[in-house]
Amino acid sequence: MKKTLTLLTVLLLTTFAALAQTMPTGGVKGTVVNRQGRIPIAGAEITLLQKGVTIETCTTAQDGTFLIEGLADGIYDMIVNAEEFIQSRVFVTVDKGFIKDMFFISMTAERVVTITDEDVVSDLDMADASYSDNPTIMFDANDVFSSVAGYGFSSVRFKNRGYNSESNDVLLAGIKLNDAITGYSPYSLWSGLNEAMRAKETTLGLDPHFTSLGRYNGVTNILATPYNVRKGWRFSALSNSALYRMRLMASYSSGEMDNGISYAFNVSARLGGNDWVKGVYYRSFSYYAGISKNFDDVHRLSLVTFAAPGERGAQNASTQEVYDLMGDNMYNSNWGYQAGKMRNSRVRRTFEPVTLLEHVYTPNDSFESGITILWRTGKNGYSALDWYDAPDPRPDYYRNLPSYAYMEDDDYGRLNHDKYDWAYEMWSQHGKPYDRYQHIDWDHLYDVNRATTDGRSKYALEERHVDQNDINIAAHFYKRFSNRYMLRSGFFGRYDKARNYKKMKDLLGGDYFLNVDQFAERDHAASEAMAQNDLDYFLANGEAQKIRQGDLYGYNYNAVVRYTFLWIDNDFDFGRFKLNFGLSQGYNSLWREGLYRKGLFAGLDDNGKEIVYKGEVLTRYDAQGNPVTSKGMSEIQHFYTFAFKTNASYIIGSNHRIAANVGYFSDAPTFNQTFISARTRNTINPNLTNMRTFTSDITYQYNGNGVNARVTAFHTQIVDKCDVTSFYDDSQKSYTNFAMSKIDQQHIGVEAGIRVPLWLQGLTASAVLSYGDYTYNSTPMVTQTIDNSAELVIDNQPVKYWQSHPIYKQEKMDDGSIYYPVDSDGNYIVEKTVQHYVEGTPQIAAALALNYRTNSYWFFEVNAQYFDKSYLDMNPLYRTEMACAGPDGIITPQEITYMASQIRLPSQFLLNASVGKSWYIKRTYNIGFSLELKNILNNRDVITGGYEQTRLITSDNYDRYYKFDPKYFYMSGFNYMLNIYFRF
Amino acid sequence: MKKILIIASALFLLGACTSLKDEFTPVFTFNYPEPAAEQGETLVPNMTVAEVAGLYKTGPVDIRRELILEGVVSTTDQPGNFYKTLYIQDETGGIELKMGRNGLYNDYPLGQHLYVRLNGLTVGMYGKNNSGNGMIGIGFTDPTGDYETAFLENKLLIDRHVIKVKGSVLTPPEPVVVTEMELPYKNSTQKTNHFLGKYVTLKGLKYADETFVLLYLDSKQDTKSYTNRVFLSPSNVPGDPTAGITTWAMSKEKMTEYLTSGRWDAFRVGSGNNYTGKTLGDYREDGSYPGVEKAAYSVSQYFKMGNTTIQLRTSGYCKFADLEIPESVLNGTATVDLTGILTLYQGNLQFTINDISDIKVNE
Repeated sequence: MKKTLTLLTVLLLTTFAALAQTMPTGGVKGTVVNRQGRIPIAGAEITLLQKGVTIETCTTAQDGTFLIEGLADGIYDMIVNAEEFIQSRVFVTVDKGFIKDMFFISMTAERVVTITDEDVVSDLDMADASYSDNPTIMFDANDVFSSVAGYGFSSVRFKNRGYNSESNDVLLAGIKLNDAITGYSPYSLWSGLNEAMRAKETTLGLDPHFTSLGRYNGVTNILATPYNVRKGWRFSALSNSALYRMRLMASYSSGEMDNGISYAFNVSARLGGNDWVKGVYYRSFSYYAGISKNFDDVHRLSLVTFAAPGERGAQNASTQEVYDLMGDNMYNSNWGYQAGKMRNSRVRRTFEPVTLLEHVYTPNDSFESGITILWRTGKNGYSALDWYDAPDPRPDYYRNLPSYAYMEDDDYGRLNHDKYDWAYEMWSQHGKPYDRYQHIDWDHLYDVNRATTDGRSKYALEERHVDQNDINIAAHFYKRFSNRYMLRSGFFGRYDKARNYKKMKDLLGGDYFLNVDQFAERDHAASEAMAQNDLDYFLANGEAQKIRQGDLYGYNYNAVVRYTFLWIDNDFDFGRFKLNFGLSQGYNSLWREGLYRKGLFAGLDDNGKEIVYKGEVLTRYDAQGNPVTSKGMSEIQHFYTFAFKTNASYIIGSNHRIAANVGYFSDAPTFNQTFISARTRNTINPNLTNMRTFTSDITYQYNGNGVNARVTAFHTQIVDKCDVTSFYDDSQKSYTNFAMSKIDQQHIGVEAGIRVPLWLQGLTASAVLSYGDYTYNSTPMVTQTIDNSAELVIDNQPVKYWQSHPIYKQEKMDDGSIYYPVDSDGNYIVEKTVQHYVEGTPQIAAALALNYRTNSYWFFEVNAQYFDKSYLDMNPLYRTEMACAGPDGIITPQEITYMASQIRLPSQFLLNASVGKSWYIKRTYNIGFSLELKNILNNRDVITGGYEQTRLITSDNYDRYYKFDPKYFYMSGFNYMLNIYFRF
Repeated sequence: MKKILIIASALFLLGACTSLKDEFTPVFTFNYPEPAAEQGETLVPNMTVAEVAGLYKTGPVDIRRELILEGVVSTTDQPGNFYKTLYIQDETGGIELKMGRNGLYNDYPLGQHLYVRLNGLTVGMYGKNNSGNGMIGIGFTDPTGDYETAFLENKLLIDRHVIKVKGSVLTPPEPVVVTEMELPYKNSTQKTNHFLGKYVTLKGLKYADETFVLLYLDSKQDTKSYTNRVFLSPSNVPGDPTAGITTWAMSKEKMTEYLTSGRWDAFRVGSGNNYTGKTLGDYREDGSYPGVEKAAYSVSQYFKMGNTTIQLRTSGYCKFADLEIPESVLNGTATVDLTGILTLYQGNLQFTINDISDIKVNE
């Protein structure tokens, strides 16, 4: 290996030497970076002058580097211009025909007008609202594609290259902060702290990252340290018609003072509802405080703490039937009136403070080491209605809808048109008498609770908690051994214990709620013990626990995740040619620690004996003869992780760059993919494996004459992904767990962006395109179990129609009716196969933008966006043979087409515009505004997401199943965001 | 321009604050006001249960007149033996209201006084055949013709037709003791017998050593097809009139236990004169019965009141389903007194209790 490398180096060097001999040998090179965070600036224009005459110009590459060769010895005046940065001017001396290495040329941002408010993006983080994925944030203002797509596409939940958000590494001061349990991006931890968290290093795709190995869906490292916060006071007020009424923010940064200390703070409040979705509101605050001391530019110690405490009411998805009846695609079923006041049942309430200590050691220009310790703790609760032996209080419950009474197709067996009329009236008429049917009828819930004889609440508001205690340590160093070689390496360790439980938030007029499982009670009528959520309490006290406000109930367990990895990365810099390769190796372990002994899964007692109550043995065993346990530690699951990445780039001339990346990643499953039913028991997904990702991309870039362009083609194969979902299965008449494994995905596509200056000074046009083909390409295996008994329904069988479904050959009979011919073996003849696609993002996204900036700080932008090839999340049940066969067990071509087909969402066109202006008063005060007008055409039919329900309707002839309608989320129509700010 | 901007931002802030105030009051403090209690209404009843029953002739009657019945709720679905339905009664008798929602006791508890606005509803009979009458009840029109009435089910429909009496207090009805002589005949209705559908007590009943259960092999298939049915009844396996069932009913768990014990292996699949030729035992595979759906089942336990047979019907979903019938009752040394709703089904007398406490064992 070493030999090969040496040989390669020698070869390359000779090549360059040969090239160099034909021209003057002198030159200058370096990397243009942002003073804040040393983020490379691509596309910076470098002009070399001698006596006021331009000798040479070039623009920096994607990684901020530049190289000007063929210079004669002498002193040059070098001017560096970059959009939104203050011009930088230095003298450069080239002598003895050497290439002068300037290392870093740092520039200060002059960007006073910032329309792109990432806060809005991070607030879309709807881990609530049944929505599991954050929008992809990849913000690199200098890459045309990402600057247009990163913010502009977030409204339709565009996912870069189709990857889910878990694959996007989000780092804070070098610590990977993706949720340890789910892998989701953690943006909500600092929402509202835009000023403090503005400085960040971002890479895209597979590109190398400085303080980590990086991954295949980019890395965002939020620097978060006070010396990276912009100096001075900043105040802003923002109003947004699609999110919250008002945001107020203030920040201050001291900058580095003479004593080496810098400090900063940032506070904000986000308040109110919006014009589009009723019941949604914010009552969120946030704070940030940081202090840092610089010891002689060698050591820098920083202490930072921040949090975004508050609560917000969430939105819910409904079926199109409900939206149509309500005449509003933004209908939200989560709220209702309580004594005339609007109340949302689904409120996320969080207070998760993060504290970090960072030490950076830079003894000289060629060495840096850093260590960060970060602790995240606090509470994260999400409320929901809970009820016991009472009708479902959700207004859009399917039995409340007209379609439940009558359907056009009589095979549904829904024939009562008179009853349909009542349901239709209930939903289509509006006004006070109908509010209690179309929204949650809180008043009635109180009535029911107050009417019980002993104060037992039938309806209550629970709060589902995932409270994390997350301790992280990251260390990194880099050493520049020569101009040509730099070694970077690091270590990361994490221990996260997430307490999952339900807490009684509000008894809604009653005195207590009983800690029993009503579904277990139904299935085990004779056994009071089996219905217990907390069997130990029951055995000790002889009765189920009466839950008062603030008590824990339902389920209670710790999810414990521990992981460590080491990474090492090598950067070779041969001037025009750069090579990087690195790898990481890690070890993950995770387990569940049950804190409740659930009646259904009593397991063994502390002495290893069966649990017996009133002569009945409660202990149950699985198919392998092991007791099914709910309390205590599960088996520890171990996984080894591995990653390898290499990048190479070559600069041709002064304007062209080509780059290629290759990576392989073997990632451990997340906690949520590991346990079949983490709420109730220690049972592990039987087919658990690492998920492997093979990925590569190739890029061509052009920077010159003010034109900035990039085209990247990528290919990614994801193998052996696992997934666990839980749902009510009508065919089993039970709540079931669906553990899938061996899910493979292929992501192929291109992304391209170009920005060109137009005839008018300050006017530019940009165009971006992301064109992908993200498909499922394996037949996953599934194990389905009954949640209440751990009984197997499906034992590791293929989900046959997951990746595609067949269309069979049809022929017409003489009478015009259609039949499906069979081959000699009696099988239907496959005519074509319909591919199923990775969901949750438009696979085609394009935008065209016009930007105009004046010297008097006005700016205008208009952009048009087009999205297509977006698919709805597939539910695996509908792709099983069982669901396609129907109750009669006979699969017909019609049933497959109906049941297994994936829903493609309609394509969309959106038009947005923005305008802004800022004024300087006496050079020290700066006041300005920006106004963004989104979805100007008021397109009200944009589906941003949703999901298929998992339920089945048995046909009247018992020969097939019908699907429940899918649920959708829609985007707001025309909306604005106005931001007014004042800075000094 | 700057001044304009400053004024504009001040106005903007003011506007934002004003619109915040309203939507924010409860959100901010989390002090949601306590709702006032539901009031009910006052209507003038013009019908009795017997009169409503009298409207019924031979088939379902859609009521399209302002007829209002007042009654008191005599059943509860809390223990789960009544499901999605309730009975109301007055001096003249009792009648079923086919509500079609679960957890009815939460809104219409035992002893609740109700008005039923009959206009728009349907009066029909359930469980009628050639051998006798079933029960007249109040429901909604059923276009399928499967039943004479459908469940009301829809909230708006219920709220417009089933109305709480304003200012009424809960007065759970007292049971009336009914003698064998007073029992209804197979062609009685609530018009002709005032004890039908009413909350009554029957005394001194003797266990008759006979049970009736209808099992389905697969409830997702046509449950009316004989190939899907197994009757656990004396006519299926001669000499085994109880199928070994010693509980009042059976939950899914209890049913699985009975089935897998092999006790039912001789019972034939089919009904009447149509049998498939298979027995439940034929479905046995490694001690389990994959072709037989495990579910909760209602059980009819037969009792004798003097010479009259009365079936005590109990749901497999009720909380007392799996309780064992006391040995003294099974062996005939003790009689029982039953309190509950007396009904007719195909001319046979049936009895449904609200809770297990409605069975009194006379040791």
